[in-house]
Amino acid sequence: MNQAEMILMGLRIWGSIGALVAGVFLTVGMDRIDEDAREAYIFRPLLIPGILVIWPLVLWRWYLYETGREVWARRYDPPRRAHFAVGWMLPLGICAIIVTGLSIRQQWPADIAPERLSAPAEVSQ
Amino acid sequence: MSDKDTPFFVGYLPVPKGLRGLLLAVCVLFISGLAGFGLALGVAQDDPGEGAFRFDYGRQTVTGVVELTPYPLLRVTEGNERIPAGHTLMLAGGGKTNVERRAIPLEGQLARASGVLLQRGDLDMMQLRGGRNGLGPAEGVAPELPTEPLGRWKLAGEICDGKCLAGAMRPGRGLAHKACANLCLIGKVPPVFVSSQPVDGHEFLLITGPDGGHFPESAYHYVAQFVSLEGEVERRGDLLVLRIDPETLEVLD
Repeated sequence: MNQAEMILMGLRIWGSIGALVAGVFLTVGMDRIDEDAREAYIFRPLLIPGILVIWPLVLWRWYLYETGREVWARRYDPPRRAHFAVGWMLPLGICAIIVTGLSIRQQWPADIAPERLSAPAEVSQ
Repeated sequence: MSDKDTPFFVGYLPVPKGLRGLLLAVCVLFISGLAGFGLALGVAQDDPGEGAFRFDYGRQTVTGVVELTPYPLLRVTEGNERIPAGHTLMLAGGGKTNVERRAIPLEGQLARASGVLLQRGDLDMMQLRGGRNGLGPAEGVAPELPTEPLGRWKLAGEICDGKCLAGAMRPGRGLAHKACANLCLIGKVPPVFVSSQPVDGHEFLLITGPDGGHFPESAYHYVAQFVSLEGEVERRGDLLVLRIDPETLEVLD
């Protein structure tokens, strides 16, 4: 299996789990944790693409609500605390990716000359 | 709590005096930094080459013998000022399509090909017009044209799709172009090997599969990377054809 096939398989596995989570959460979980969503169904298919991508976060949030560990006032504390660091990590990360990509890219094999391994067997028409 | 004397930037109000220097410095650094970064990235890129559609030549029409490698070739017997007799043209359809359905009934026969030329150095290809206007039978008896085996070779270089490499895309090679190249190859556009050094005077070789078939899907992974490979080389007119041995494909360091 080459890298492209591995990436594709990883995406398929991730998306399959996400589809499973979306199916269970949108039919069972949402009614349990959000009373405003009860008996409201039309909007739910719109959430499927998002859940396919961030299903671990959906599961985590669902777990917090189910167990009563959700503290709404502290909900935005983690992103607020991380904002400064993430603000630096993003541009530095982009630069690091570009520099790494440029430094590990292949060099054109200009010094490798063609080599004839065997002479032609016969002349065809 | 906040100090009411602390300067505070509001976009639609005049800039506070205490922030003017900082704002100016940020603007200068930001603009010059982005410009410098963009310049550095541009300089680091490989030259895309001079390949291009030669619409400036106008529509080209030539006559020749159709051969299938299985990728269709036209061995030109009656050329024009741009495409001389004796030249071998690779043929492709519009976009990422091939012309095999039109070429197969004409195999070994004289045919008239018409279309626009793509050219990159000594590599060229014709994108045919639609239907029989692009490729149709011509009157006359097809001459017998020789194919000269050149033996088994070990080469280093890059596998590309011939159409993008010849000028349909810029860049038409390299990792950034890999997905596009593979889509062309799936469409059976003729693949081309760019050799690190000329093989019998030629830098570009048409690639075919090991058994006279198409470029094998198992080798798509190696497209657009610098690789070494082995294969049988033959000369058809002024075009070299490389029948690769996929088992010998190796990515170079």
